[in-house]
This record gives sequence, structure tokens and C-alpha cells, in this order.
Amino acid sequence: MPLSNNKVADDGSSAEPLQDEKAMVDSLIKVVACYRHLASCVGGCTDSSSLRRDLGKTRERAQTLALSCRKHLTTRLRDKTLPDAERKETERLWVSFSSCLELLHADMSKVLSMVKHFSLANNSAMVQTGVQEGSAEVAARALSLPDLQKDAGPQTSSLEGQEQSHLEQEIEQVDRTLDDMESKVNVLRWTVEALGPQYTDPESTDSASLTLLSVDEETTQQICGRSQMFAAMLLCSVAIFALVLSVCVVFLV
Amino acid sequence: MTIRNVRDHGQRFRPRMACLKKVESVVLEMQDPKTGVKSQNQRLVITTIPHAVTGEDIVAWIANRFKTNTLEARAVGTMMVAFGYIYPLQDHKRLILKPDTSLYRFQTPYFWPAQQWPVEDTDYAIYLAKRNIRKKGMLELYEQATRGTSASQHALVLPYRLEYAWSTSLYIDAAGKERKKPDRVVFECQERAYWVVHRPPPGTVSAMDYGTDRMVDPNMEEVKVYFISKHSNQMALKKKTSDYYRRIIMFTQQCIMRPRVKSSVSIGALVKYSTTYKEHDPFLHSSLPSNPWLTDDVTYWALNLPNVETPTKMRVERWTFSFGELLTDPRGRADFRLFLKKEFSGENLAFWEACEDLKWGAAETMKEKAQQIYKTFLARGAPRWINIDGKTMEITVKGLSHPHRYVLDAAQTHIYMLMKKDSYGRYLKSPVFKDTQKKAIAPEAHRFSDAQLEQNAKRRRPSLSPIILRQQEEEQKAKLAASGPVDITQLCRFTAPVPHLAVYTGICEATSPGLMTLPNSAACPSPISVAIDSTPASERRFDGNGGPSSSHFPSIAEVSISEEENQLPAPKSRMSLSLTRLLRRGCNAPSVFASLSPKCAVTTGGGKVQPLGVEPLAQPQPRRIANFFQIKVDIPPECRIYPIDSEDEEDDSPDTARGTVKEIICPWETITKQDGAG
Repeated sequence: MPLSNNKVADDGSSAEPLQDEKAMVDSLIKVVACYRHLASCVGGCTDSSSLRRDLGKTRERAQTLALSCRKHLTTRLRDKTLPDAERKETERLWVSFSSCLELLHADMSKVLSMVKHFSLANNSAMVQTGVQEGSAEVAARALSLPDLQKDAGPQTSSLEGQEQSHLEQEIEQVDRTLDDMESKVNVLRWTVEALGPQYTDPESTDSASLTLLSVDEETTQQICGRSQMFAAMLLCSVAIFALVLSVCVVFLV
Repeated sequence: MTIRNVRDHGQRFRPRMACLKKVESVVLEMQDPKTGVKSQNQRLVITTIPHAVTGEDIVAWIANRFKTNTLEARAVGTMMVAFGYIYPLQDHKRLILKPDTSLYRFQTPYFWPAQQWPVEDTDYAIYLAKRNIRKKGMLELYEQATRGTSASQHALVLPYRLEYAWSTSLYIDAAGKERKKPDRVVFECQERAYWVVHRPPPGTVSAMDYGTDRMVDPNMEEVKVYFISKHSNQMALKKKTSDYYRRIIMFTQQCIMRPRVKSSVSIGALVKYSTTYKEHDPFLHSSLPSNPWLTDDVTYWALNLPNVETPTKMRVERWTFSFGELLTDPRGRADFRLFLKKEFSGENLAFWEACEDLKWGAAETMKEKAQQIYKTFLARGAPRWINIDGKTMEITVKGLSHPHRYVLDAAQTHIYMLMKKDSYGRYLKSPVFKDTQKKAIAPEAHRFSDAQLEQNAKRRRPSLSPIILRQQEEEQKAKLAASGPVDITQLCRFTAPVPHLAVYTGICEATSPGLMTLPNSAACPSPISVAIDSTPASERRFDGNGGPSSSHFPSIAEVSISEEENQLPAPKSRMSLSLTRLLRRGCNAPSVFASLSPKCAVTTGGGKVQPLGVEPLAQPQPRRIANFFQIKVDIPPECRIYPIDSEDEEDDSPDTARGTVKEIICPWETITKQDGAG
């Protein structure tokens, strides 16, 4: 799915078809995935104020998406006149949505604790993780903006404190959203059946990075291959011997 | 879906894990560009990735920082790798620190282990889904098992999150596409290392193992009590929550329950225990031939199976420590049973086992079991009457009017003490035990080289499924019940007719040690439990077992007849007893077939459960039966000693021999008819 399709319609009436809501939930999942990628850089050598800022922006976007999703899904599910098949679909979406939200909640809590530990303002040591570039592109994908400001001024401790409290508030908000969801709509999660992987994304067949990793692994399989190499050598020696014999026979003859 | 606000005494918090914070600070120290560990570039096929560290550098840095030797430093480094703060770039599955030029890298803080958040199965599902898509199904065996049987294993989590996991994995993949290639590789390595630490393959030791969950959340602040500070004259207070009161209540309850013993006594007991069991403890002493947990060689377990024929010397030595040890070991119990059989006091052990069965058995059959035990062991004129004092008998009989699980506890304890004080001592001096001791094997200690140890580790196989073990146990129980006890001196005396008549017949257990495996059983082999099991399934099972096994009986009987005639020495009473046993056997082998007929079961099934009040009615009948076989039963229970019975039998044996040999099946069936009618 190319970048340009990430724009999501935020308005919606109750009469909109299921596809729109599906698209909304999908985009939420995408944003949460991007958030996860960004979060994995916190505390590492690429941690910077821009990363923190990107994190914040992605978070906000996820929140807005979540709120609208919740609104629509709740109204749909409370609608008693919904036909069965649609209700099943909606319930499936609901389960996806709530799982996504829980993942976001977990990620945000992790980021909060990491941010407290690795403070930019106090110049605490960052872990050298081997990551080289910033994750500006990931953030761009999440926020579906073609370009971003490269640098956002230095962080001060007061700014950081503000950000942290902001983050805490957002975590609480997600918490409340989850509780709200549970109380308003009663979806029995174990009755929702999971479908298989519905779409095979051609982008996911990334063989290149696989080969990089597998080359690494091959070096470790030398010991296992030793017996095989020995067998191969034996065969080769036998073949050479046969060749030599035949040459000698030819000479004699 | 996380359930919150649960108020019970459950344990659901992870323990403190204070080591994590300490390791984190060391890792951060390592990052210092000036005093930290030197890093180099890792060269892959096309790209180079920075921030790779060699193992020897790490070891040297740790040794320098903490001023220890390299061995200590290596251990500390391995611990850091095992926790997941550093991950190996080659050989990523083995989480150890190799002090050579193999490369490692630091894990990003997002993937650091944390005490507050347990690692979720959802994330694991996402990760596996991603890898599945990438490698197109080439996951490791245990990972496949997790994915494939996720419904059964992680029942509450994965099934309804699977779809979410799939879609999320795709999106995480796609999101990662935006990063540069080397960063992608690094992220994959990081994730892979994270899951190696937190979902280790089965059979490996994980550093994140913490035992059971705790009851108290270590991250919550301790509630302090009200107190007045002497210096500042202020009251320092914190609110006492219900949580605080709950903990206080639990603490005081445990204080009351605690037993109080003088330290001299308790220490003496500890010392005695330690000296006795010192050599039998696998942690303190090497077990022979080798400890399977260390060398992956299962000979030790094979030699120490519950029903092995020749026990090991260590096992036999354990039986001499205490009577309890002898009884809890199934092989020891079988040996003891054999000894008691020779002494003709097997009913004590049988009664004890029946009581154990009652205590631990299912609740639905409890009442019948209790009645059965009473009829077999405790009633006046019972076939296997046990000798307990009047007071205990009074208590037991009174309790039996309202039977419950522990109604026979007093009697059981009495018999246990009797066996312990009397029979146990004699057992330890008996030829049976001395024979077993002589035959016990003392295996040689294994001496495996490193290569052999690795081979053993590769050849590890899972043991038998517990379902199969349980089936084997039940088969053995049935066999033991079928080849019934021999201390019944009154033939065909059963005050409660049962379908499985073989239980009460005098079918002799084969005395040859070679056939010892047949009657042994792992659990309490109460013949009564098999008899009482009124469920059709068990009847069918017994029929199934009894069918093939009953065909063995004539052959076993013949074998043991000849053996007995050869083995038994001169004493006249014994000879006569053997003859009567022979007669009984001859009588009862066909009776087994008769008993297995469903007709018999139907007629006798009704009479099985008899309330206690019916007892007086049942009494005249047995006397009639006894007279039929010319065995006097009108002996007051207190004076019933078996030798007297054997004298009676001795006198009557010639007559009975002629009498019963002719009428093999009839007396049995007339008895059943009588009982059915009566």
C-alpha cells in the first residue's frame, strides 16, 4: 500500500459502509506499528529530540484515530438492527481494534519508563545499538505527511517534564477508553473467529535482508556441515581415483 | 482484555528482580565513549553495521571494572547475555559469552527485560506471524507448536488475537520498510534476540525463570502503620487499605498455625535426618549410575521404576530407614506384602491399603468402599479380620453409620503402628528381605566424555505420556486384584457378594520371584477398589483383563502348585494349607469364569451395597456356608488366630479334598444363589 493512501477520512456517519471502518482500523494498526518502530529507537544511539517529537505526533494521531474508531464501532454495535453477518464483521473489527489499543497502551507505558530513564536534557548515556539513521521516514509514513522538519531545538528538562506528564495523561486516556469500551459494548472475544491472513502483501517478501541474516547464520553452521563436507570430500577422492585409474588404463592400452 | 480489580489471595505478581536494574547500570557504563567497551564494525555481505563488540573485549572490560579474574568476568558477561542486554551476532541461539573474537551488540532499551511488564503472548504471536510470512513456513519446531496449537496452549490469548497478530505483523513489516537496509537488519536481530531470551526453546535454561508468582506487588508502596515520632511529636500516617488488613490477617493465621518445638529437639531431628539421607540426596551426592539431569542418560530412571524387579542397593537401603519409606516405595511395599503373605498376616497391609484408597479415592464410591472394608476386615466373622482393640473398633463402627473419607483413620493408624512395631522389625530380619538385599544391584558410575555428553543431549527423547502410564497402572491394579490375596482361610466367605469373585478366592499369587511383576501395582492395589468399582466401564475393563488373565490362572496355578510342593518344608500345617489352597484354586479357577458371566453380576450386583443395619441378617448365612465347608466359624473374634483354623482344616482336609474336587462349580454357585436370594 503506497504512502499516499494513508489519508483517512475522519468524519463519518452511521450509514457508511463497513469498508470505511475497516480502513480506519487498518490505519490505526499501521500507526501503532510505526509507533512501535519509533519506540524501539528510544534510548539508542539515534535517540534525539526529533525522535521524541515524532513519537509524540504519532501518538496523537493514534489517539484521534482510536477515538473516531471507537465512536463508530460503538454506534454500530449498539445498533440492534444490524444483520448477523455484518455484526460478525464488526465484532471482528472490534476485537482487532481493542487488541491494537492494548498494544498501544503497552508501548506507551514502555516509552514512558524509558524516557524517564534516558533523559535527553541531562545527557545520559545512550546505548549503542547499531542503528544509524533516524526514523524520520517511519514517522512520515505514520503521519502521512510528505516531509518533516529535520530538527527541533534542544530539549530542556522542563520541556521533558512537560512531555512526560503529557504522556502520562495520554496513557490514562487510553486506559479510560479501554474501560469504556468494555462497559459499553459486550463483545465475547472467544466467540470471534479469526480468519487467516487475508492478503499476502508482496512487499513483505523481503529476501534481501533475509540473505544478510542468513549469511550470518551460515557461518555458524560450519560444525553441522562438517560431516557433510567429509562425505563430499570422500566422494570427490573416489571420483579422482577412478579418473586416475581410467587414465592409466588408457595409457597402458 | 486484562482483568483488573480482583480481590482474592491469588498470586499474580512477578517477583522483584532487583538484578535487572543493576545490570542496566553496568550496561550504561559500558556505553561511555572514553571508558566504555571499544566497538567495531560488523561486516555483512553488502553493508557494515557499527557498534559490534567482541566477547574478549567485554570480558576484559568487566574484569577491569570490577577488579576480578577472567573466569568471574566471563560468568558476569554470560549473565548479561542470558538476560538479553547483550546479544550474540553469530550463533544467536546460545546465550553465552564466548571470550574470543565473536561479535556481540547491545540490545535497545525497548527490548530490555522489565519486571513490571510480563512478556505478552500477543507480541510473540505477531513475531511468529511475521517470521512465518518471511520464511514461508520454515519456523522452528517449538515455534510451530506454539503457533499451531496456540488455541490449546495459550487458550485465552492467541485464538482471538490471531487475526490481529497477522494483520499487525504485516503492518510492522511494512513500516519497517521505510528504514534503511542496515537498520532493518539490526531491528530484526534485536527482535530475534529478544524472543530467544523470553521464549527459549524447550529444554534450555532461561535466565528469566522466576518460579511461582508472588502474592504482593513489589512495585506497590508498603503501607506503614500509624506511629508517633518521638522527636518531632508528629503523627506520621498512611492510609490502611483493605490490602494491608488482608496481609495482617494472613500473617497472624500462619503464626497461629506454626508448630512450636524446642530448638534442641528440632535441630537434633534435622541432624539425624541429614546424616541418614546424606548419601541419597542427588544434590549432595552423585547418584548412580549418573544423574539424568546432568548427563541426559536415563539409566537411573529405568533402574528405579516403581515396579522394577530388582531394585538398586540405594533403594533397598532406604527401606531400612523407616517404615514409612518402605510403604511409600511401591517396590518396597510389594516386598513387604510378600513377607506378610508368608507370615499370614497380609490382611493388615491390605486393610491399610484399603483405607488409603478410601481416603484418596473418588467421592462417589466412598460409602460403598467403607461398607466393603467393614465387611471384609472389621465385621465379626469377616474373611480378613484384623486385630484392633475394642475402643478403636467402637469408634470406627460408630463412625461408619455416617461414613466419610476419614472414618477409618483411627483403625488405620492402629494397624499402621502394629505393622511398624511388629512386622517391620521381623521383615528386616526375614529371609525375604535378605534375599532382596542380596539381589539388589549396585550400578557402576558412568564416566562420559564431553563428546558423549553432547551426543546424549541430542538423543534426548520425551518420556511416556502420563495417559499411558495411568493405563499401565490400572492394568497392574486389575492383575493384582485378580490374583487375590492368600490369607483368606475361610473359603468362599464373602459377606457381601460381588461380581468380581476372583478377589476373594484363594487364587494364590505365584511364589516364584520371576512372576513378582504380575501382582505388583504402582498405586494402592486394593482388591476392594476393583471389586467395588460398580461403573460399567471398569467392569468391562476387568472382564477384558480377566479374560486373558484368567486363562493364565490354571497355568500359574499349576506352576505354583509344583513349586509349592517342592519348596514348602515339612511343617504339617503348611502342607495342609497348601493342599487346601490347591483345592481352592481348583475350585475357583472355574469360578472365575462363572463370576465373569454377566448373569452372576446381575444377581450379585443388587446385594453389593448393604447398609450397616443389614449386618445382623447377613451373619447367619456365612455360618451356614462355613458349615458347608466344615470350617468352624463360631469363634469369638478376639480369639481368632489362624493356626487354629489351619488345624481345623487339617482335620477336615481329606474329606474336603474328596468332597470339593467332585463338586467344583456347584458350591460356589449355590452360594451365589443363596446370597442372591437372601
